[in-house]
Amino acid sequence: MAVKMGFVIITSRCIDCDACMVACRAENQAPLGYSRNWVTNSGIKGRFPKVKQSFEPGNCMHCDSPSCVAVCPTGASYKRSDGIVLVEDAKCVGCKYCVEACPYDARFLNPNTGKADKCTLCIQRLEQGLQPACVQTCLGKARQAGDLNDPDSVVAKLLDLYPVRRLLTDAGTGPNIYYIDVPVSEIPEGK
Amino acid sequence: MVSKIYTWEQLFSRRQFIKGSAAAAALGVAALSGLWDLGLGYGADSTVQSTANQGIRYVPSICEQCVWRCGIVARVEDGVVRKLEGNPVHPQNLGRLCPRGNAGIETLYSPDRIKFPLIRAGERGSGLWRRASWDEALSYTAEQMKQIKDKYGAKAMMFNSTDNLSQPFFEILFKAYGSPNYGTQRSLCFNAMTTGFLYTYGVAQPGTDYRNCNYMIFSGRNLAEGISNIETQEMIDMVARGAKVIVLDPRFSKTAAKAEWLPIRPGTDLAFFLALLNVVVKEKLYNQAFVQRYTQGFDDLVKEVVRYTPEWAEGQTEIPATTIRRIAREFAAAAPAAIAHPNWRTSNFINSFQSERAIAVLNALVGNWAQPGGLIPDQSVNTAQLGTIAHPTFPPAQGIRLDGVPWLYPMVPFAFGVIQTMRDNILTGKPYQARGWLISRQNPVLSIPERQKTIDALMKLDFVAVIDIQANDTAYYADVILPESSYLERYDGLIPIGNKIFIRQPAIDPLYDTKSSLMIYKELADRLGLGDFLPYKDEKDLLTQQLQPFGVGLEELEQKGYYEVANFKVDHSKDFAFQTTSGKIEISSSVMAQMGKKAVPTWDEPPKPAKGQFYLLTGKTAQHSQMFTQNNRWLLEVFPENKAWIHTSAAQQLGVTNDDELIVASEVGKIRIKAYVTEGIRPDCVFMVGGFGHISKGLKAAYGRGASDSALHKALTDPISGSSALSQTFVTVSKA
Repeated sequence: MAVKMGFVIITSRCIDCDACMVACRAENQAPLGYSRNWVTNSGIKGRFPKVKQSFEPGNCMHCDSPSCVAVCPTGASYKRSDGIVLVEDAKCVGCKYCVEACPYDARFLNPNTGKADKCTLCIQRLEQGLQPACVQTCLGKARQAGDLNDPDSVVAKLLDLYPVRRLLTDAGTGPNIYYIDVPVSEIPEGK
Repeated sequence: MVSKIYTWEQLFSRRQFIKGSAAAAALGVAALSGLWDLGLGYGADSTVQSTANQGIRYVPSICEQCVWRCGIVARVEDGVVRKLEGNPVHPQNLGRLCPRGNAGIETLYSPDRIKFPLIRAGERGSGLWRRASWDEALSYTAEQMKQIKDKYGAKAMMFNSTDNLSQPFFEILFKAYGSPNYGTQRSLCFNAMTTGFLYTYGVAQPGTDYRNCNYMIFSGRNLAEGISNIETQEMIDMVARGAKVIVLDPRFSKTAAKAEWLPIRPGTDLAFFLALLNVVVKEKLYNQAFVQRYTQGFDDLVKEVVRYTPEWAEGQTEIPATTIRRIAREFAAAAPAAIAHPNWRTSNFINSFQSERAIAVLNALVGNWAQPGGLIPDQSVNTAQLGTIAHPTFPPAQGIRLDGVPWLYPMVPFAFGVIQTMRDNILTGKPYQARGWLISRQNPVLSIPERQKTIDALMKLDFVAVIDIQANDTAYYADVILPESSYLERYDGLIPIGNKIFIRQPAIDPLYDTKSSLMIYKELADRLGLGDFLPYKDEKDLLTQQLQPFGVGLEELEQKGYYEVANFKVDHSKDFAFQTTSGKIEISSSVMAQMGKKAVPTWDEPPKPAKGQFYLLTGKTAQHSQMFTQNNRWLLEVFPENKAWIHTSAAQQLGVTNDDELIVASEVGKIRIKAYVTEGIRPDCVFMVGGFGHISKGLKAAYGRGASDSALHKALTDPISGSSALSQTFVTVSKA
């Protein structure tokens, strides 16, 4: 089967420390005031003392049918054959259509370059056989990335073992971040 | 030569450096222009996919964004540190870094670094400085220290430092000088825990086996927000595999979000643990064989705890008796893979020593010592020993200590000290007047309760010198600032962990005219005529001496980042050789008995806020380290300022909603801070993260952000442990 890169994120293992955000900033040098990834905090829900709180890391969902690519007037936004959604700077005119079109708010216009900016799944690291910076640093091993179609990958094994959900599926873009909310006692061995 | 006088603000503006300093011009583009302008980033552009692996170096070293000492590997491209990653072989973090560790690059390239030695050029605290050469700054510092010694004796000079890899060498300087006055962070942090466990097990800080633990009670350790990297990882794993975790905290912390949260009334953790002891004893849930063989004083405990029923504790803690009873039973059933965590900070009341004693004793009753999933005995015996540095015998310390150890606090170990009392006695002038203060890598203005007193104390002294990488709040009041190289630019003393020796080494040469603290201490010692006490010519010479027992050269260590000691034997024969008076685990403390105090854990009623007052709670956030990282702009992106947590009902009464400005006032100070209205805190409490509210204008990013808890905290000291009772400060809250 074709390679399909994506994320599995285990929310029960996230402590909202934001190491993934800082690691991404260091690796990809997002300008201050902008970030390529995030951790959403549910806020403290319920009534004292019966309260709860959950944390949901995220970034570009590298969708099957990315709306950012569909609206791009110059062809700068594109989806690679392995599923990774990227921007080709030379073609980007900074029109921000893609920034507006993304249902996940995963893009921004980089004020330093004037180009659309977003998660690249750290392709420069993947090429060296490294995990994306956010995955590599995560204290809870909450963030996992890889080929969703490869049965030997960590992400495919997790998909196989646990119930998952995706965000805003109604938007119809086919997001490739799968969320696991139940406890995951051990991260399976895999690619 | 007349040198230019800078105001504090000029000093820390980039323009000033580019225009006004020839040295700065030679510093390299990266530091001055900011990394972002270099265009070296990986864009979202696929055509800039890979960098050629030329000019790239990977330097293994040790993080210093907090005190935990994680292993890092720095990726250096053409002389610029581009990425820090966890070192997979390092046991403190196994390849992963927390947000602070990931942000070390910003600490290095911060525009607010102190870039050359400074000598005050106006009144103290005026913010007027002139640039000095290292020779002048060090000679001036040494002269002042000599004058103080000649005129008032060595005791009039105080030395302060905090937990860091070169601290042992600072302590050599301090002892060689001959002063008795040494201050650390300990009494503001975990004195209650360390003394509580020391007087029970003879071990100040036992480890905790998270990996095998099935039941954990935290009552002062918030690993999701007070990150100690590997422990945090293990805590997450522990939760994920279904271990039971109980969190006692008046505030719903992020650790509590992963656990069973018990919003205990502040200061009553002691009652909770006494009630657990009551149930464990009454229902005979303890490990009888263990108690008989390894402990002393059980019978006295039985008599004492009979009155601490869960029903009694419910009245104190506001935790239902049924819950307390259930937890006691569950905990005992899970033992020995069950731990009542020793904590770091505790509930921070005067009675916290008793709480820690009760916790220590509870662990003893269930026999979890040196068992899988239980407490881990002192590991220093199983740690490789570095080569010692031969130096002359220290002179006897002159005079009694200003911090009251032991004349006011007979049970506080010398090494722990009571920093808040030292500060107080600068002001009282008793038992004698302090004159000078050498402070390395510490920021007493923001750390010690009653901030204004610390400022007053600094203003009262004849001489203040500060060693730091940035213009912290205490440096603002110094006479001399000796700028240290950042941890990515310097060596420190080696660090052994188990059978491995790790090295901190420069990823790049210093960007500015700075030195390692190792060399600052050494060169200061030379000028004080104490050079023999730090017998090394440079850092590499010292590290080579430390490596002497091992068959490895410094170069090999630098390349690999660590050295594994061959055939290292782990010795568990002393696991049960308790270094207490009785040689047993002291349920009944010999030392307490000797002091004429009740020897078993006992109730000590904590004070309550008056009507209209709140308990003031402080704690950590995962994105910052104490008062050290608030100027790190990458970390400000993820945690920009502290806010005052206040319960919805209390906020409603005050007519306050989120982000409204509040005035929070205590007996000793007043702050303005934004409100965070939440259901996640007891209605009688206000919480704020510590470390914000910087007053140094040299910390441009941090200045004016949030508010300082030290401005509110009252200096209250537990007479037994010396611990600062930080949460025993009560405040009023009003809308600004």
